[in-house]
Amino acid sequence: MEEVKAKMSRYYLAWAKDDAIRKKGANGGFVTATLVSALEADFIDVALVVKKKSVYEGIPVLTNDPEEIKESSGSLHCVPLNLTKYVVEYAAKKRIGLPTKPCDARGIIEQAKRRQASLENVYMIGLNCGATLHPLRMREIAAYYGLDPDSVVREEIKEGKIFLVSDEEGKEKEKWMKIDELEEKGYGRRDACKSCVTKIPTMADLACGNWGSNDEKKTFVDVLTDKGETLFKNAVDSGYVAIEEAPGKGIETRQRIDAGMQKRAASWKEKMDALKALSRSERFEFYVDALKNCIHCGACKEVCPVCACEEDAKCTGLYDERDSYAISMYNLVRIFHLMDSCIHCGQCEDVCPVDIPLTLIQRRFSERMQRHLGYTPGMDVTKKPPLYETELRWSAEAE
Amino acid sequence: MRKRLAEEEWEPKILAFCCNWCSYAGADAAGLERRQVPPTIRVIRVMCSGRIDPAFVLMGLLEGADAVLVTGCHIGDCHYVNANYKTRNRYEFLKEFVDELGLEPERLWLSWISASEGSLFAEMVRDVTEKIKKIGPSPLRREWKK
Repeated sequence: MEEVKAKMSRYYLAWAKDDAIRKKGANGGFVTATLVSALEADFIDVALVVKKKSVYEGIPVLTNDPEEIKESSGSLHCVPLNLTKYVVEYAAKKRIGLPTKPCDARGIIEQAKRRQASLENVYMIGLNCGATLHPLRMREIAAYYGLDPDSVVREEIKEGKIFLVSDEEGKEKEKWMKIDELEEKGYGRRDACKSCVTKIPTMADLACGNWGSNDEKKTFVDVLTDKGETLFKNAVDSGYVAIEEAPGKGIETRQRIDAGMQKRAASWKEKMDALKALSRSERFEFYVDALKNCIHCGACKEVCPVCACEEDAKCTGLYDERDSYAISMYNLVRIFHLMDSCIHCGQCEDVCPVDIPLTLIQRRFSERMQRHLGYTPGMDVTKKPPLYETELRWSAEAE
Repeated sequence: MRKRLAEEEWEPKILAFCCNWCSYAGADAAGLERRQVPPTIRVIRVMCSGRIDPAFVLMGLLEGADAVLVTGCHIGDCHYVNANYKTRNRYEFLKEFVDELGLEPERLWLSWISASEGSLFAEMVRDVTEKIKKIGPSPLRREWKK
């Protein structure tokens, strides 16, 4: 297994030399240019990118066509996809390069721990992530702005504001509001993102973003691993990317933004925890009430970036439709198995057809266990999940 | 006159997983020594406490057990090298799980009982029965009956 070196951080400002890429990219097209250069230099066989269909829709595409990568450039805030499962499907056969949010990267690392993917084959270009929005929630915001949700052509999140641009019969209309204000009124980011404290993907190979950058068309890049360095060097040497040393002020700004985001996330976590004030028996009633709606479609398991059990899973195997338990074995086993490994990405809640508040439930269970164990999943590939850890202390103690 | 079934005093149902080599033999010893063991206990013999999947415990609770005992050989005495270390590890998870779910922590027990500790076994069952009688039937069981 690949040994993880002590994280070296080196900061640069980088942007694509190609004007077309630079213009289309969210922050100078660095990620697109890096993927294209890695493809051409044969570091990766394919790139996994999310192609925009509309503001609310994107599809993951596995491609070795540089044009297609360039096409999918730019950020999509309303496509709360997790790419982990796509990586797992192809990483055995192909070397993949992909842009990752922190939760993608953490999912991939968890899968690598479970030997579903080899990190040697995966090049993760991390993206700083403030949040994603559920497409339906974004439509609500558009309606709240007084725009026709179907006519929205562009969205952007900048400096804590959500910008929407609609195109109604050739007339472009731009509206924006502060995220904080929106969220006070009940609109806004996904629950998982609101309370997420991992905003910078320090577990990926590169961490890119606009925090700390002094120009809208320059990306702040943090080179984190040897693999990241190879990618970065290749992108520079092949002439796709221009760089400059990051200013010291930028590094501070980035840290400040990160700290501020984390603080806000922590306060959201407190605010959203509906179970905090409840007594033990009320908590029990809450769980029974929430989970009794489950129709056992298995969507949460299918989409979970941590789960690696495939078809012969214990949760589905122990569940029987004829059971009349208060809480089904499917839910109990799933929650139990994720106690040490849940990365709080919120994918399960997104796909749940009966709207069970799974983000909250999984967080309640797993956070207290992870605190108890002092273990954070998805950060370090060498740290195995504690539930699977086999202790051989007996032989050591006997001696 | 015989009491109607509903009027009879509620007796807890306690599910015990006993490992073949130590705690099951311990339970056996309790009988041989003619020690009083409350009839609230239902013993399931497993070859090793390491075989007890957390799912077994959860299923036991769902099926109507008021408390579940997980018992095995003392740490270091396992007949299968280190399997009761795994039991201990899983118990840590179960404990947090049961607590978070809203069940009382007294509904889950872990104890190490060797083959000669019949008295300890009897004492433990008495102790658990008493505690469970105090806190009442498991809420999971109540739901199940509905």
